Amino acid sequence: MARVSQTVPTPLAPDRVDYLPMIDRPVIKWPNHARVAFWVAPNIEHYEYLPPLDGVRNPWPRTPLPDARQYSLHEYGNRVGFWRLLEVLDEYRIRCSTTLNIGVLEHFPDIAEAMLRRDWTFVNHGFYNTRFITTFTEEQEREFFQRCRETFKRCTGRELKGQSGPVASNTERTPDLVAEAGFLYQTDWKIDDQPLPIKVRSGRLICIPYTSELNDAPLMRHHFDGDYYAKICKRQFDQLYREGEESGRLMCIAFHPYLMGRPHRAKYLAEVLDYIMSHDRVWQATTDEIAEHYLAHTYDQAVAHAARVNT
Amino acid sequence: MPADRTYAFPEPHPGMDHDHYDWSPLNVVRAKLEWPNKARVTLCVIVVLEHAEWKQPPDSYQVPNLAGGYGWGPFPDVTAWSHREYGHRVGIFRVLDVLEKHGIKPTIAMDALTATHYPFLVRHCLKRECEIIAHGISVNRMITSRMSEAEEREYIRTSIDAVARATGKHPIGWLGPESGESARTPQLLAQAGLRYVCDWGNDEQPYRMKVPEGELHALPVSLPLDDINALWDRHVEIGRYETMIRESFETLYRDGADNGRLLVLNLHPFLIGQPFRIGCLDAALDYIIKHDGVWAATGAEIIEWYSNLRVEIP
Repeated sequence: MARVSQTVPTPLAPDRVDYLPMIDRPVIKWPNHARVAFWVAPNIEHYEYLPPLDGVRNPWPRTPLPDARQYSLHEYGNRVGFWRLLEVLDEYRIRCSTTLNIGVLEHFPDIAEAMLRRDWTFVNHGFYNTRFITTFTEEQEREFFQRCRETFKRCTGRELKGQSGPVASNTERTPDLVAEAGFLYQTDWKIDDQPLPIKVRSGRLICIPYTSELNDAPLMRHHFDGDYYAKICKRQFDQLYREGEESGRLMCIAFHPYLMGRPHRAKYLAEVLDYIMSHDRVWQATTDEIAEHYLAHTYDQAVAHAARVNT
Repeated sequence: MPADRTYAFPEPHPGMDHDHYDWSPLNVVRAKLEWPNKARVTLCVIVVLEHAEWKQPPDSYQVPNLAGGYGWGPFPDVTAWSHREYGHRVGIFRVLDVLEKHGIKPTIAMDALTATHYPFLVRHCLKRECEIIAHGISVNRMITSRMSEAEEREYIRTSIDAVARATGKHPIGWLGPESGESARTPQLLAQAGLRYVCDWGNDEQPYRMKVPEGELHALPVSLPLDDINALWDRHVEIGRYETMIRESFETLYRDGADNGRLLVLNLHPFLIGQPFRIGCLDAALDYIIKHDGVWAATGAEIIEWYSNLRVEIP
């Protein structure tokens, strides 16, 4: 007979995020009185043909490896979809913040060059999207972040500031190690319509929330397609734009060239961008800019406020 | 799967295959139900404030398709956990604002972890004059028949006590996490001093349950309109969801002219409270509330009215 735990733990795990209700918060003032900081997240990824399996998550569970259909479905994104979406993004002069598998920089220098020429911001999304952090030891995870950072610096001459787990994978230690490695922010804590502090054992870390809702991958696993994506993105924007009059809001749209880059879908990304960018008080920002703004103007107030709220 | 029963050919008798309530088809043998002011439809909105735990506690039972994130993956699933927590941080305030705008007093189903760890939310709900009902310990620990009777009693007691401590008031309603029950749950709820339960989705009126001690009513939830059921489990488009709520109401409003009906919406702020969804709830409720003959009430108000009627269910 199973014994159901009746205990009410204190504090609640994971104790990474202080409870900070949306109402009655320190006000966020974005540059130029913007109501919404809008970040655009194309996932630029590589999925391996023969990935090593970590025993926890098989990226291609349909058949014994390789899975030519699944592999090529995803690879289409880099061969075709990326270039199609680039035209859309250029039309609206979007400065993307890409969740980037660092391996792409080495495998596909033309993609790297296209992104760098446009001065995109890069968020470390692991090395490949078929390798997850989940089962790493602390030492492996520490080394992993270091090697991602070194590879990125060697390829681009820049420093990475943001971290997004490949397929959102994390360990319980990830925030501590991310802060230790020199990142300013994670994107995995999709818990808010504003940035938020993340508690770490030393230093400071914040989250610039990514989105699991306005995201083509989970939607298009079901019957939803580009039209629905456009519809909900516009609705999301309308609501946040209204609320942003009071205190700045954050909005992320996420997509994948292997999905959104298909011929029948790209126009719906254009529809979203056309709609949002036609509003005045939008700060089409990169995650690095948003993080720096929040750290400079809101972080300390938010931490102090959380201490008051939770007593 | 091991067999746990031996099968004999059934020897049915008229009526239910359990003792929780009697067979009573609506509009066939049941007396007419009159709502206050001859309302046709009573609307009850249950807002579920349930905490999703970072790690599933050992030996607890949770549904295999627990909603959140991309679906719960390997531990730790930051995405699913965060998605759930968004409801407590952000979504709840949108939902409560919409309900207040339409003059609908919410019935909050609050689990023990929320009642204990979110004093701000408790205060906020009390300020809005919400009714708060008990909702188990957490969504990761549901009642099932794997519990012993003693465990189940303790579980119910822990849940009620947490709400009573946080709100200063003994709750009278119950919604199990994921509507989890054993075969003895109704009687244990009644023994614990609860007056109504929202786990049973089989009617468009309240009804009495048969319990050996105390009293218990079912306040039946419309499961197809539950946001997790519609938006998460069945991937209903948000515009269609709004229409479904309207269509449900239209039918109940028509049927309610002869015999009062009940519409209980069960909502989760981490889903319906997302910016792109909240407008649909707003529009659907706006449509409902604009009709004459709608009584928006809390669970306690409905059960109070119903239990004072002299309607006997045969």
